[in-house]
Amino acid sequence: MKRVPYVLLALSVAFLAWSCWTFWDMRQGEPQDMARDRDQAVTAAKNQLAALNSMDAKRVDQGLQSWLDSSTGPLHDELKRTRPESRQKIQKAATTANGKVVDAALTALDRRSGSARVIATVRIEVTRPGAAPTVERKRYDAALARTAAGWKLKSLTALPANAR
Amino acid sequence: MTTDTDTAEAEVEAPPAAKRRVPRHRLVLAAAVIVALAAGGLLAFTEKQRGASPSANRALVDAEATAKAVGDVSNALVKVLSYQHGDVAATEKAAAQLLEGKAAGQYRALYGQVKAQAPAQRLTLTTRVVRAGVTRLSGDTAHLLVFLDQVSTRNGKPAGGTAAAQLAITARLRDGQWRITEIRSS
Repeated sequence: MKRVPYVLLALSVAFLAWSCWTFWDMRQGEPQDMARDRDQAVTAAKNQLAALNSMDAKRVDQGLQSWLDSSTGPLHDELKRTRPESRQKIQKAATTANGKVVDAALTALDRRSGSARVIATVRIEVTRPGAAPTVERKRYDAALARTAAGWKLKSLTALPANAR
Repeated sequence: MTTDTDTAEAEVEAPPAAKRRVPRHRLVLAAAVIVALAAGGLLAFTEKQRGASPSANRALVDAEATAKAVGDVSNALVKVLSYQHGDVAATEKAAAQLLEGKAAGQYRALYGQVKAQAPAQRLTLTTRVVRAGVTRLSGDTAHLLVFLDQVSTRNGKPAGGTAAAQLAITARLRDGQWRITEIRSS
């Protein structure tokens, strides 16, 4: 009978050790890191797709800058190259667009190479001068690359009906 | 310990060794209880954190389960959203097997009209999955985003070209098969 408390103490210490291990195991490891990367990539993609589908006709330069900030690699180069043209076109049309991502899902994630693919639906409210706002829906397949400043879009493909 | 026993011990004047032994057992017991409570608390905290942690969502983290959900849901959508005027029963049968809950109700309302018109107008609808991804996967519930292209024909001729559809799907895993429980336009 005298041993019972010691046995209980030993058991409770073992229980504590096990729960410590469970806690450590939950905080550690590849799945946790991968899940965090996935969530960061999706969040970045949502913000950047919204930015790339938005433009305030009164602040064209600011809008174009946010396009550049939202992109990297080939997409960034392309947007930079076409910036003067884009500015002219937008100023001429005076169109304001407000894009919001409705749903987005990562379809691939390679942590080693720092690349990911995402599909997303975007709802865009377009306001042309002297006209009532119209709503457009677009679907995209986009590629992301991990940069020093986090995940950024490196390519963007709109998928209309019959696209491959 | 009550004052009664204290006075009793003082009167008997028990040997010092015996006096110490009783509190020691109690101390050990108390320590065991404290340690067990701490362990239980840590375990509860761990479970709570696990539920809130990013890895509670298994999308992509569990590649096999993610691929299975995408495959099952894509197949189900193609079967349920395709029909031929001569064989609306096949589509209905697939729907009965692959749709559950709210999705089954939504589908019945929609398909009732199709069933009435399809044979007379010789309608066919072919659905193709363009892209699909899992937004959330935990336990037996999955949320997916699916892009579809749909081609319809009337009397063998194309009717209205190709239509693009984007669906947010909720699915449940039962008996090793993902079944669609909710369909929302995205």
